[in-house]
Amino acid sequence: MIELTEVDGVPTLVAPSSGQTAAGLMFRVGQADETLSRHGLTHLVEHLALHDSGLSDYHYNGETASVYTHFHLRGSESDVVGYLDKVCAGLAALPMHRLEIEKEILRTESRSRGGTTTLPVRRYGARGYGLPGYPEWGLSRLGPDDLRQWVEDYFTRDNAVLWIAGRGVPAGLRLPLRSGVRRVVPPPTAVLPSTPAWFAGDDTSVVFSAVVRRSTAASVHSGVLERELFRDLRQEGGYSYTATSSYDPRGDGYATITAYADALPEKQGAVLGGFVDVLARMRHGAVDPRSVAAVRTKALDKLNHPEIEAARLPGHALNLLTGQRHLTVDELRAELSAVTAEQVHAVAVEAADTGLLQTPHRTTADWAGFAAAPTSSAHEADGRRYAHRDDADVALVIGPQAAGIVRPGSRATVRYDACAAMLTWPDGARRLIGDDGIVLHLEPALWAVPQAELAALDAAVDPDRHLPMPLRGPGAIPRPAAGRPSAAASRGGAANAGEVIAIVLLTLVAVALGVFGVAQAVAAIRTGGTPLDLTLLGFAAVGTALFATPVVLLRRRRR
Amino acid sequence: MTIISRPAPSALAHAAAFPEVADVRSWCRQGDWAALSGHFARLPTVDDAYFTARIVGDQPEADTFLPDVAQASPTDPLPRVLLAARAIGLAWQARTGARDVSRDRLDRMHAHLRRGEQLLIDVTARDPADGVAWALRLTNARGLELGQAEARRRYDRLARHHPHMHGAQAQLLQQLCPKWGGSWAAAFAFARTAAADAPEGGLHAGLLAQAHVERWRELRGGEQAAYFRRPDVVAELADAAARSVLHPSYRPVYGWVTTHNLFAAAFSLAGEHRRARVHFDALGDLADRFPWAYLGDPAEQFARHRARARKG
Repeated sequence: MIELTEVDGVPTLVAPSSGQTAAGLMFRVGQADETLSRHGLTHLVEHLALHDSGLSDYHYNGETASVYTHFHLRGSESDVVGYLDKVCAGLAALPMHRLEIEKEILRTESRSRGGTTTLPVRRYGARGYGLPGYPEWGLSRLGPDDLRQWVEDYFTRDNAVLWIAGRGVPAGLRLPLRSGVRRVVPPPTAVLPSTPAWFAGDDTSVVFSAVVRRSTAASVHSGVLERELFRDLRQEGGYSYTATSSYDPRGDGYATITAYADALPEKQGAVLGGFVDVLARMRHGAVDPRSVAAVRTKALDKLNHPEIEAARLPGHALNLLTGQRHLTVDELRAELSAVTAEQVHAVAVEAADTGLLQTPHRTTADWAGFAAAPTSSAHEADGRRYAHRDDADVALVIGPQAAGIVRPGSRATVRYDACAAMLTWPDGARRLIGDDGIVLHLEPALWAVPQAELAALDAAVDPDRHLPMPLRGPGAIPRPAAGRPSAAASRGGAANAGEVIAIVLLTLVAVALGVFGVAQAVAAIRTGGTPLDLTLLGFAAVGTALFATPVVLLRRRRR
Repeated sequence: MTIISRPAPSALAHAAAFPEVADVRSWCRQGDWAALSGHFARLPTVDDAYFTARIVGDQPEADTFLPDVAQASPTDPLPRVLLAARAIGLAWQARTGARDVSRDRLDRMHAHLRRGEQLLIDVTARDPADGVAWALRLTNARGLELGQAEARRRYDRLARHHPHMHGAQAQLLQQLCPKWGGSWAAAFAFARTAAADAPEGGLHAGLLAQAHVERWRELRGGEQAAYFRRPDVVAELADAAARSVLHPSYRPVYGWVTTHNLFAAAFSLAGEHRRARVHFDALGDLADRFPWAYLGDPAEQFARHRARARKG
């Protein structure tokens, strides 16, 4: 059914499909290949390459995911030929005159998307698979040379796979791409000292993620988890409206299972408790075998779709790109039929061991046996100490190897040689983000520190990692409370900068909280173990978290 | 305010009321798991098992053998449930016993409760019908401050299998009071529904006496003095007593001592000494710590009000 051929040196998968032709050109490059100071690079290339595709009559799109970039469309054969030709031409000569405009479009896109989840940041830090959790901060410093180099390194015919669902390779289809090498997916980084772990997120949801070995049983496990969550939290409890789970192969033999349940503010405790109990049931294998059978049957049913081969092409392409095993429909059917409740139980045990749970804000999961994900560095920076102008308990440390903010019971330390990026504002404010995701935000007005010492930071951090930020208005620049008439009044206020520094990671949470959507339409593909990342669809904005953060502080202070 | 208002049934009264309580304690002291587990296996109701688990939870000697028993039989829920009950006992002790700063005490209390809770998460995962485990998890939810919604969820999970478990209802009623983040409306609504739904002759209507005593305790001055004089309150109490411990089909089950003590105290405070006397007479010398500790020294208050009731 599936034919593997080649177009201009690009491996090409073809499966029959009636109606319009669908096609996709996929490259093995994504956000996880970037660094924080160049985050947004792949997405920017994707946008610029598409700019000249000039198209109105058919549906085309581009997608930048964690480990791949995908240009795809549905249309007539000549549309496919024209679109892919323009994409390749765009990659060969990116329309640099569009650079600043496309950057603006990307900034707008991220605003309208409302942010992303912090789970990847908590698990992987500010590198690799953690980067999708950050804003595309690299945009501010990326220039034409950076983009050209990126295309040369990654957008090559040796790092691409084409798929076509239709009558065959359309006549006249050309893929004029430069040669290069196949790029393996980046190795995962790790910042959690122990799992299962928890951290407090927004006030709208509970999210759980786990990393397990990729298998058909693991995809069934995800389906069973979704079913159990939906039954307990929605059908029986009425605590949640949505309860889902997704299964996303990472491209390196492992897959991420992400389960999500929403929660009304007054039901948060019950959603968390119910979620914990469902996870425990899965871990103990105390799941009704009928649940496993139901998920299996549903997955098998989807394989009966007349154009299932075509529907699985994008996943097949990614497996080919990442060197992962790809099951034929028959193989998948056989594996699905053979999945047992015991195998699902074994996956649940693996998932429990690597679990990361995002609890509703103001709640914890230590009572359920989860370890707190670190919000503080293990070591204190060594160097000269400077006093905070408002808070005697807090000290800024600037040393030759690292800088840090120390407060009773916690510290944020960033080593210069492990500083993923430093945001720099024209007014002198600096924010250092460590590879481990620890954030050090420095408002010069709040510290009794000489200007020369701050300049030393600029010299210590690799200039490639400086990220210039836009000018801030005077109202947006924190000032010490002591110089103002009502020092006491501002102490508990939402804009108390000292507090903000103390909870830097929470600030990240507030800025970048998102919700995982699940693309039902591609559930069949995913069940098959193919990793097309059409799954991260609906990101929901959680602006309230911005305002809730100070509330968390005040509540904690009162306890 | 106490963190766990009712850590365990009051020692002396219940030992006197039920001779087997002394046996349970003695098996704990001897580490006689065979006798103890055999006893649990013979207990007819989930309330009996819960009551007995709380007795074990108060025995320090249980720490010497329960961990070994749990380790030797990894899937047996009973040693885990009893360890969790014991954790609640230790949590209570940590909270009230020490003289150091309250933050440390709270941390130690939470550490005990977390340990027990994790055992119970596993027990209820394997057997969602384990009423004793769920009832203990209700106490844990309160001590760990998991909130109203979670406590209610735990009760609802329990009630699917045990719709009239009085011991669990008394725990949830505590949580529903304003001191634990609930409201009087929620507390009374729950007590009234639980009382109305339960078969007559059980202890369930005693939840209304518990609710009224809690309500009275939160009031101050003239309002407090006037509360139990309200005709609607007295009428509801009289009706509740008639449906429960004064009902013809009533039999003294575990917990009856507390319920009679509640009615005796409530009617005493109402000045209804004739009504109070019935309950004092049923009790004899079985003074419970609860609710008399709300009035002062429990033994002294019990004796004083009983003397007043017997005067007529």
